[in-house]
Formats: sequence, structure tokens, C-alpha cells
Amino acid sequence: MKLQNYTLRYLAITLLLVIPIWAGIFYVLILDEVYDNIDDDLKNSKIIIIRHAFADKKLLNSPEFGINKFTIKPLPKGHYPTKDTFFSTKEFMEYDNDDEPIRILKSFFKDEEGNQYELIIKASIVEEDELLQDLFLALIGLYVMLVISILVVNHLLLKKIWKAFYVVLNNLKEIKLGTGSRLKTINSPIDEFNTLAKEVEKMLDRNESIYSSQKQFIENASHELQTPLAISINKLELFAENSTLPDEQMMEIGKITDTLNRLTRLNKSLLMLSKIENQQFSEEENINFNELISIITEDYSDLADFKKVKITVTENDSLHFKMNKGLAIALISNLLKNALIHNYPEGFVKFIINKNEIIITNSGNNAPLNSAVIFNRFYRHTTTNESTGLGLSIVKSIINNYSIVIEYSFTGDHQFKINFPKK
Amino acid sequence: MFPETWFYFELVFLNLSYRKQAIMKVLIIEDEAGLREVVQQSLEKEKYIVETAHDYISGFEKLGSYDYDCILIDIMLPNGSGLDLLKEVKKQKKQSAVIIISAKDAVDDKVKGLDLGADDYLSKPFHLSELHARIKSAMRRNNHNGDNLIVWKNVTLSPEQRTVSIDNNPLVLNRKEFDLLYYFIINQNRLINKTAIAEYVWGDHTDQADNLDFVYSQIKNLRKKLKDSNAEIDIQAVYGIGYKMT
Repeated sequence: MKLQNYTLRYLAITLLLVIPIWAGIFYVLILDEVYDNIDDDLKNSKIIIIRHAFADKKLLNSPEFGINKFTIKPLPKGHYPTKDTFFSTKEFMEYDNDDEPIRILKSFFKDEEGNQYELIIKASIVEEDELLQDLFLALIGLYVMLVISILVVNHLLLKKIWKAFYVVLNNLKEIKLGTGSRLKTINSPIDEFNTLAKEVEKMLDRNESIYSSQKQFIENASHELQTPLAISINKLELFAENSTLPDEQMMEIGKITDTLNRLTRLNKSLLMLSKIENQQFSEEENINFNELISIITEDYSDLADFKKVKITVTENDSLHFKMNKGLAIALISNLLKNALIHNYPEGFVKFIINKNEIIITNSGNNAPLNSAVIFNRFYRHTTTNESTGLGLSIVKSIINNYSIVIEYSFTGDHQFKINFPKK
Repeated sequence: MFPETWFYFELVFLNLSYRKQAIMKVLIIEDEAGLREVVQQSLEKEKYIVETAHDYISGFEKLGSYDYDCILIDIMLPNGSGLDLLKEVKKQKKQSAVIIISAKDAVDDKVKGLDLGADDYLSKPFHLSELHARIKSAMRRNNHNGDNLIVWKNVTLSPEQRTVSIDNNPLVLNRKEFDLLYYFIINQNRLINKTAIAEYVWGDHTDQADNLDFVYSQIKNLRKKLKDSNAEIDIQAVYGIGYKMT
């Protein structure tokens, strides 16, 4: 969920809770104030009526409301409460053709002769249900307007404010270590974002330098190892040639030489990897993969015959792709080598060339490989001493250099599918 | 059999070997003492006259004072680049075959070296048998006298025509078998590491143990063909290390 919508969601939920609570309190307060006002008005009317009644004795006997808003009834002598009582009730109103709420003031007073009277004054009051309804509608209106205005503010203002943030985010997304990619600069009025951008840039520079020095280290180390390896291998070769040692000792020398040869291969593969990652294979040409695959499978046909593995190539379409030739060869031959190694006698390797993909299927071990780790460096499915465990990581790093995708799947046979970007 | 013919081939062989002993002079320009030493020893076994230089300056001096049949130049040298020495050789219009040796297996260096007129490029580490093969090929290509047949005992091999004959009878070999025989003949009497054979004949894709069994089976085929056509040369297995042609 986007940052803007996220805040909006919480605001909307909070408002949904806060507004009714506020509305309830508001309603009670307003109603209280209205009643208070009416009661005051009734008290005022009472004083005026009593004053008039003293002046005009006729008023003392007006038991019906009639056009007046009050009644005065004489009462038998006795003790009556001196306090006024207020209450609300309902009365039929012709205008509305309905019962409407009214407020009643009931009071007792004595005239000069000490006769007891009862005074009732009524006043029409607010219709609570209608007030509630109006209030409810007004509140919905208020809520919608609030949410809309927050949305608008979010979209206009926040978008503007967070723009810098999204630039930083995009920068981070596009960073590819080792490619020397630069960050887009931001110019935000907000200090935090400027700091963020600055820190990201610093971090990138730091990582970039660590990365390149590490890459450089691997490359240099591999280079520096070549000469000592050459000396050791050559000295052993010469020694074996010149010596008249017993078979067992020659055997040991042979083993040492084999180990050194293995080290050489490992070293060469590492160099190859770091060169691919350093993009030192920049020369590109249009590669005809149909042709390339037929040449490579021909190269490997002796080995395949020896291993009794049948290689077939099905060309459904012709596939051209612009890339470095050496890398294209390394890509196909590493996959073919892999398919041949992890195979069994009377097994098969099938190449299928489609418009934008190459599918390599081979028979082999009857269990799927863990596709999460097979492309990792030094991952080995079996513990063959002679395998460097770098073949598929070379494949992976070649693929990373171009926008090619490789997928591994297992359907009884092992399958690698190389998807080339559509033209 | 005709012993006279055998005798004739022996003579040719001895004659060729004699010429080699008399003529072939090799200069190694390499800063690593260990490598210089081992290459020198190995080349001297081939009866070459070997001289060495350990840096750019001494290499430059040697180039100016003597003629060599073959010069091995390391690219990275103290106080200079091997490529500049290569330029110097070409400037002096010397007939020497030049092989660039580099620890950097970089395509750029290779292309640059070959563009400047080097006959071959060898990246470290290499097998001594590979070095010999390269030196001999380079010198053969460089030697325009036309006599390019390689004769050993009753076997005659033409690297250009890619044909082999035994006692003047043609022997039919497939491409890989020919490569294998050529490699053995060029490294005659030397012990060749099995990995070196695999790399020479099947390229870089030999990093599996069973590929060495593959080499073994190919050698077995070649041995059988040689034996069937009465070749006087044979391939011996040196247990654990490799093979030797005698």
C-alpha cells in the first residue's frame, strides 16, 4: 500500500470513530442548551403572567389554553411545592397533523388573598428526532468533505512533498553495484529527504568502493596465482620426466600435478567470473544461436559418444541475439557440459530452439535440483573432486549481463530454459 | 619389410635432429626466476640453445646483439612491457618466431599481441608439452623453406596436409586422432601430462575426471591404429601422470 493511501486509511477510520463521539457530545450539549434556553424563557413568561394576573383578576381563572400558552387554575387550600417543575411531553399540533414535543412549566402561586393557583405554561420545543436526523446528515456531509479534502491534500501536497522521497527510492531501485550508476539528485525543501539522499549517496559510494576493491582483489589474486602455479606445474612435469622413481612415487607426483591442474581450472573460472562481472567482454555481435549450438554440439560429440549420451537439436525457429561471442560460447558450452556431466549412459541431451528461447533438457539423477542454490558459486550437487562448482555461476553471471532469464525445472528430466528478451 | 627404407628414415631423422641442434636458438624474457629456470631446463632437453633475460632492459640488449629462432616474451616485465619488445623485434625485421606469454588471459592482450605480429599467445599456467608444441609450430610456420614434414622412425606426418603415412602407406586418422598423434610426435620422448593432452585436443572443456578416461580411450584407439599399421612408435602410459611416445 502506498504511503499516501496508508495514512488516508488510518485517518478515515479514526474520523469514523471520532466524529460520532463528537456528534453525540455535541448533540447532548446543544439539546441541554436549548432546553435551558426554553426553561429560562418559560420562567420569564411565568413572572410576566403572574404580574399580569395580579393586575387583571380575570386572568386568574383561565383553565383552558385557547390561544394562550398558559392556564391558571384555582386550587383548594393546602400545601403545594414552591419549586417550579419542568417536564417534556407531546401534544397534537394541527399544523403538522402530528404529535409534537412541548415543554411544560408547572408552578404554584398565591394571590393577595392567599388563594392557591396552579400555573401551567407550555412552549413548543425542538423535534429531537428531526434534529438528530439533520445532525446525522450534516455529519455525513462533514465526514465526506473531510475525507475528500484529506485525499486532495494528500494527492497534491503530499505528492509534492514526497516526490523527493520517491526519487531516492527509484535511485535505490536502479542501483547496480559495479556499473558505476549515478544517483539522480533531489532538491527538496524538506531537510530529512535531503539528508536521506546524501546518506544514500555516501553509502553507495562506500559500497561501490568496497565492491570494486573486492572484485579487484579476486582478479588480482587470480592473476598473481597464475605464475606460481605455472612454476609448480612445470617443475613437477620436468621432474617426472627426468626422474626414475618407483611407480608409487610417480603416482604421488601425478596426484600433486592433478591437484595443481584443478587449482588452475578453479583459478581460471574465477578469473572468468570476475571478468564477466567487470564487464570486460564488451564487444558484441549478432550471434546466430542455431549455428553456435550446432558447432558446440559437434565439438562435444566425441565426449558425448564416449559417455553414450545422445545429443539432439530441434530448431523450431532461428534465434539471433546481440552479445559477446565468447560469452555466448561459454553460456551454451557450460550448460551442455553440465547436461553431459550429470547424465548416465544411454541418456540424452535435447536442445530445442524456439523464437525467443532455448530449452536444454537432459536425463539424469531422478531428483530435482534445488533451483535456489544451483547457480551459487561453489555449489556442488555431487562431490566430484574434479568439478569446480563454478560452471552454472558463470552461466548466471553471463545472463545477468544481458536481459536474459534462465529457469530450471524438473519434470522427470532436468530442464534449463533460457528466455531471450522479445524484440 | 625393407630394412633399407628404415635406414633411410633413420638418416633423415638424424639429419633433422642434427640441424635442430645446430640452429635453434631460443630467448626467454621472463621476470619470474622459477619459471625462467624450468622453461630453460625443459628447452635445453630439446637441444635448443637457450638464453634468458629477466627484464625489459636486458631483453632489449639481447635482442639487439643476437639472432634467435624463437623468442618467448612475458608481457608484464619490470621496467617495460613485453609488447614493446615485440615491436622492437618486428622493427628489426628479424625472422624470429615470437610467442607471447602472459598471466593475463585477457582477450585484449592476445589480440594486441597477435596484431603486433606475435606468432602465438600462451597464457600462464601452461604445460611444458604445450609450450613445446607452440614453439615448434611457430618455428615451422616461420621457416619458409617448405620442408615441413615431420618424420620420426617410420612415421611421416604433414601438419599442413594433415596426413600421416607409415612406411609410405597412408594412415587414415580422424581429426582428433591426428591432433593427438601430432602432439605426441612434437613432444617425442617427453612425458606428457594427461591434462595437457585433454586440453590440447579437446580444448578447455575438460574439467571432469571422466574426461581423462575419455582421453585414455582415445589414446587406446590411436595406439591400436598405429600398431595395426606396423608403426615403430608407440604410446606408453606412465601410471598416474600421463603418456609418453617412444
